[in-house]
Amino acid sequence: MIARFTSLGLLSLALVAAPAAAQGSVAVVAVPPLTTPDNSSRGADSPAAIAWQASQLIASDLRSTSELVPVGPNQKDYYSYPEVTAPTFSRWRAQGAKYLLTGFVRSNPDGRFTVGCYVYDVAKGRELGRIGFAVAGGEWRRAAHKCSGLAYTAATGAPAGLFDTRIAYVAETGPLNARVKRIAVMDSDGTNQSFVTVGDTIVLMPRMAPKADALAYVSFVGGQPHIRIIDFDTNQQRPLVPTSGMTFAPRYSPDGRKIVFSMQQGPNTDVYVVNSGGGLPQRLTASPGIDTSPSFSPDAGQIVFESDRSGAQQLYVMNSDGTGQRRISFGGGWYADPVWSPDGAWIAFTRRIPGAGTRIGVMKADGTGEQLLTAGPGDEAPDWAPSSRELIFQRAGLDGRPALFRVAISGGEARRVVTPQDGSDPDWSGVID
Amino acid sequence: MRRVILFAAMALLAGAATAQLPGLRKRDPTPPPAPLLVGIDALRADFLAKTGSDIVYFGGDASVLTPQAQATLQAQAAWLRQHPEVAVRIEGYADLSDTRDHALAVGARRAEEVRSYLVLLGVPAAQLTTLSWGKEKVAVLGSVPAALALNRRTVTVLVR
Repeated sequence: MIARFTSLGLLSLALVAAPAAAQGSVAVVAVPPLTTPDNSSRGADSPAAIAWQASQLIASDLRSTSELVPVGPNQKDYYSYPEVTAPTFSRWRAQGAKYLLTGFVRSNPDGRFTVGCYVYDVAKGRELGRIGFAVAGGEWRRAAHKCSGLAYTAATGAPAGLFDTRIAYVAETGPLNARVKRIAVMDSDGTNQSFVTVGDTIVLMPRMAPKADALAYVSFVGGQPHIRIIDFDTNQQRPLVPTSGMTFAPRYSPDGRKIVFSMQQGPNTDVYVVNSGGGLPQRLTASPGIDTSPSFSPDAGQIVFESDRSGAQQLYVMNSDGTGQRRISFGGGWYADPVWSPDGAWIAFTRRIPGAGTRIGVMKADGTGEQLLTAGPGDEAPDWAPSSRELIFQRAGLDGRPALFRVAISGGEARRVVTPQDGSDPDWSGVID
Repeated sequence: MRRVILFAAMALLAGAATAQLPGLRKRDPTPPPAPLLVGIDALRADFLAKTGSDIVYFGGDASVLTPQAQATLQAQAAWLRQHPEVAVRIEGYADLSDTRDHALAVGARRAEEVRSYLVLLGVPAAQLTTLSWGKEKVAVLGSVPAALALNRRTVTVLVR
């Protein structure tokens, strides 16, 4: 059971100023605790308690990025309510901070809370953006994620709302030769985990709709693996297309209206597209061989996919009507699992290098600028963070058990994404609203 | 009536003891029927004994049938031609070094290759279905080449 998010009441949202930091540099963000207008109430659900937890969550969000280093929250950095909008910049300059995030939590007469955040350029003493929400008590986490996103956007120019996103994956338990697999969905900070399927049949390849309000996945229920769609609003599910053949590798178009996928007929597998509500699939490839793992460009005008038509798996790009198919990868070994970045600049992939296992890499959409980001040897199934700056992927441990990792495309070590059970086939949603 | 003949033929072929078939005795009370090969477990045991193996292996990324695979499938085809009432599912697998999407398609391609070869050898196409497990349900764990090779396979499963 997954309840769709209720909308947050948006109070105000000023435009965020142009990015103040060059991409690739690491900037310090001061995150002193959010303050409250009245500190007399100290209960578990008081504004002060929520302010402290929200500050910790914001720092945790920013720490999870490769571009920002948060300092705080520390109780000694307390500031008064009026200082939210008039900070003493010299204090934060002394801490070496390039950016400052201030804010408040206030209780409203209707029992809800107002959470407000402000981001400043410390050196220039200038406000870069502000954001505010009226939320029910249990929803402060979403507001805090929006505050994190405000700071991240102000510092890097990345799209807003990046921390308020969802990750779907396959949770695995049991012996490696007889795994129990369930589709799980969690907030991108690892909280609010829930299971979408119960584990009575093998399930693979969860792929969320852009707003995380529906999910496509592959199920072996009834025998033949096929794509099923779950609508989180109604909790109903159905096969994507009525066929007795195998369908797999689904991915939504950026507007959520279409799903591109693979269908097998005899020894041949081709790429098809269909309206996400159902209907007659349109065939896009016709080469003998295996054409699979299709992924739309963000403008929906093109599709990247993998094909072994040349003998080994390589990456190809075509127009979204199937015309203009052209190969873009030419390195040794093979390339698989291509995924187009949300900003359109990159295509992530899995590459096998003979003798060196599988690694995650990126190349530009024209095939140039290839970089390998991970060391392998058992890395696969990349998907983009909505920032287009990071990838989540699956890594097999030495014992063969898969886990989720994330890595920045600017470089650095891959970091473990903690899940309660083994994890595979990760899928990161777009910005929810 | 056709079923009776089939079961009698099976009994002659196999001669293995299994359960009585309900209803058979009423139609043909004397002499008592010989032990019949009817249970799916008995059929599977006979299939394995007569054909040597229900598994064929593949090299690398390939779905090409090796001479050894062809020999195994020829024995399977001979048995299946004699048991046209037995429904069979060819299940294809890829190894763990493959990516998940491609593995599903490769498993299907291997299963289809086996199915086509069995049909070529005279097994009725309607008797055969295919299914791919991709890189699920690995037979042998580990990432060393020998372990990977044992997972690139099809299994001929007698369904009923």
